[in-house]
Amino acid sequence: MKTSRRKVLSAGLATAALAGIGAPYITRAQQKPPRQARMVPQGDLNVLDPIWTTQNMAAYHGAMMYDTLFGIDANFRPQPQMVGRTDISTDRKTYTFELRPGLKWHDGTAVTARDCVASLRRWQAKDGAGQHLFARVTDTPVVDEKTFRIVLSEPYGLLLDALAKTSTPLCVMMKAEIAATDPNTQITKHIGSGPFRFIESEYRPGSRVVYERNADYVPRSEPASGIAGGKRVLLDKVIWDIIPDAQTAASALMAGEVDFYELPPIDILPTLTAAPGIKVEVFNKLGSVGQVRLNHLHPPFNNLSARKAAQLAINQEDIQRAAVGNPAYYRTCGSHFACDSAMGVEDGSEVLMMKAPMAQRQARARELLKESGYDGKPIVVLHATNIHVMNQTVLVVAQQLRQVGFNVQLASSDWGGVVTRRANQNAPEQGGWNVFYTFSGGNSTASPISLFAHAATGRKAWFGWPENASIEQMRTEWALASGLEARRAVAQRLNKTMMDYVHDVKTGQWVQPHAYRGDRLRGFLPIPENIPWWNVERYA
Amino acid sequence: MLSYIARRLLGVIPVMLVVGIFVFSLLHLAPGDPAAIIAGDNATEANVARIRASLGLDRPLLEQFGSWGWATLRGDLGVSMFSNIAVTKLVEQRIGPTVSLALTTMLVAISVAITLGILAAWKAGSLLDRAVMALAVTGFSVPVFVVGYILVYFFALQWHWLPVQGYVPLSEGLWPWLRHLVLPSIALGMAYVALIARITRASMLEVLAEDYIRTASAKGVATLPMLLRHALKNAAVPIVTVIGIGVALLMSGVVITESVFNIPGVGRLVVDAISRRDYPIIQGVMVIFAAVYVIINLAIDILYSFIDPRIRYS
Repeated sequence: MKTSRRKVLSAGLATAALAGIGAPYITRAQQKPPRQARMVPQGDLNVLDPIWTTQNMAAYHGAMMYDTLFGIDANFRPQPQMVGRTDISTDRKTYTFELRPGLKWHDGTAVTARDCVASLRRWQAKDGAGQHLFARVTDTPVVDEKTFRIVLSEPYGLLLDALAKTSTPLCVMMKAEIAATDPNTQITKHIGSGPFRFIESEYRPGSRVVYERNADYVPRSEPASGIAGGKRVLLDKVIWDIIPDAQTAASALMAGEVDFYELPPIDILPTLTAAPGIKVEVFNKLGSVGQVRLNHLHPPFNNLSARKAAQLAINQEDIQRAAVGNPAYYRTCGSHFACDSAMGVEDGSEVLMMKAPMAQRQARARELLKESGYDGKPIVVLHATNIHVMNQTVLVVAQQLRQVGFNVQLASSDWGGVVTRRANQNAPEQGGWNVFYTFSGGNSTASPISLFAHAATGRKAWFGWPENASIEQMRTEWALASGLEARRAVAQRLNKTMMDYVHDVKTGQWVQPHAYRGDRLRGFLPIPENIPWWNVERYA
Repeated sequence: MLSYIARRLLGVIPVMLVVGIFVFSLLHLAPGDPAAIIAGDNATEANVARIRASLGLDRPLLEQFGSWGWATLRGDLGVSMFSNIAVTKLVEQRIGPTVSLALTTMLVAISVAITLGILAAWKAGSLLDRAVMALAVTGFSVPVFVVGYILVYFFALQWHWLPVQGYVPLSEGLWPWLRHLVLPSIALGMAYVALIARITRASMLEVLAEDYIRTASAKGVATLPMLLRHALKNAAVPIVTVIGIGVALLMSGVVITESVFNIPGVGRLVVDAISRRDYPIIQGVMVIFAAVYVIINLAIDILYSFIDPRIRYS
């Protein structure tokens, strides 16, 4: 056989081309999947201090890089996390905590009891549950390097629940010198002891947040459950890509450029569900609870009959259909403490949940409005147009109020405008307001103490400023009650009182599914109000 | 010429001052409280008030303006109220993607638009001319985000040729950088292609009717040199003016494009800052934008004298 120069060249080129084409596939087949994941979170992480702000993203950041003394497990029971041993005195007024061995800060130094006491002090200044607890704390002595105490003036059944909470602000532990920062000033050093390290040099607010596995982290031996148990880190790197546009985020997930999209809008879900490799799942079963806040300081809602008229006018089903759309993701709920939670009682909600035809409800509402002496003066409804659920809900609520005789005037702005105006206690014509709408996490709503919006302390309460001594007395009674059943009994009375007084008007409850690459990731833990990245594994 | 440039540069100072006063007043008179946003939804009014005080937002407005203005004159644009990072550093982090997007967009727009404009003028009244003008009308009429989503659907999701979103710096390679900019540049460039192509066509039509073009043609000058050397050069002044305006307009287009394609540029920085009332960032970026605008206008004015030697500044 004659071998020409042309044949040799052709064979050589063919081999090179085949190798070239095949090489990436061979390499890819041999490579293990990168131990990293990319998430599109619900918003931007623009504040790095999870105590200074109560923004959700700061709480997420806190759960990544810091650790907590206790953590709520999947059954909503507080379990030790950084704490190794807990001793409770027989009079239940002294709690002694001993830190478990091996806890280290990300700079390599050991976590001490002094650090924890300083962190507790800073946290309680900003947290509703913390303030309620610390109103009963007489001392927090440091016993030794690893041991400290919380001494109470009276037994307080919610102590461990408060330290273990998942809602913002989380009771995270910081180094003593960092925790010494005034709670109203943002910290400037970011050293945690949690399962992930925050990579400050790669942090780009508004764009990208990077965490790496903390190699020194010693997980507990128990299986992970809620934010309790062994936080085993199975990823080397977690990147948060801040993508503000929903369509872009969904496309990026479908193209495999990101692995997890936290809050895909409900209308995009069918597209995502149909896309290959994508799983759509609800992690936070308690979801969110909407509430219409009525201003108790000024007419007409300083009058109980007018508030009751509003309560009758508001139809949860109509609101949820407009705001959420898919009945699989929402429900009506007559509880001030989130349905399906341990405190999700619906006592006294007959009026709000009335099944009577709307015409009948509206007729009764008109009578009540007349009784209240409402003079037809415009009521100012704050309307945030840039958040879908808020925009839709307020438009429906405004119409429902109009239908029973309220003269509604919408004050439209972005959410930033609403949060400023809602703080104004003046009359509506002097920059104040009559109605605004907001929502909160079902988990924090479930506690009469944790959610400041439940307070009824008049001008010192949350926006709307309801004032009712019975409600306040029952909230305290609930916090001091020992055991779930005793608390539930108080919650039943409390819910009825809040409904009768029309503290605020609940607009229903909904869950928000997450979408992720199920063909790559597994092991997500269903934690309310947080997205944990421990226990998550990239398998493809 | 030098004294003209110096005078124009000095003129930037009062412009900046007016921009500064305007932006500051507008922001502080508009509803919105950064302290309330920082504090979060579950915060008490007392906490919000404490944060407001710690940020210095409880000081009289004139005092706040004075300290911001004085710091700005010294080149200190302040610190973000939220992230605690210097505004200059944030802009430095974001300027690369924005400049990259602006440059590639203008490059695409100018090269495509001038070619189309010349062709349309050369073949005025033909099917090609009508097609170019139809394209121009479409380019103007379809919003950037619609073009963006359509491009993403086909090029990224269906054919997997290009990425959906994101930005890779040039330091990580020419191709990775370029492939992240192809779709955004086309989406953003559509309107500029339309704008520049129409002006090029109109300007070229005027010049092509001149006697010297007819003379050149009669002397046997080939079509291409005649179009480029004789016609385009003389039609360039209005085209350059439109390109200058286009660069300035690009700043607003960049904001939407950066959101649709998730490019972490200055446009997104300022949009995010507006939604949370991060005053130092908004004020700082606005002052920078105004300076860029003034400088671009100056550069265009200077360019005129090079294109048309009859234009002289004294």
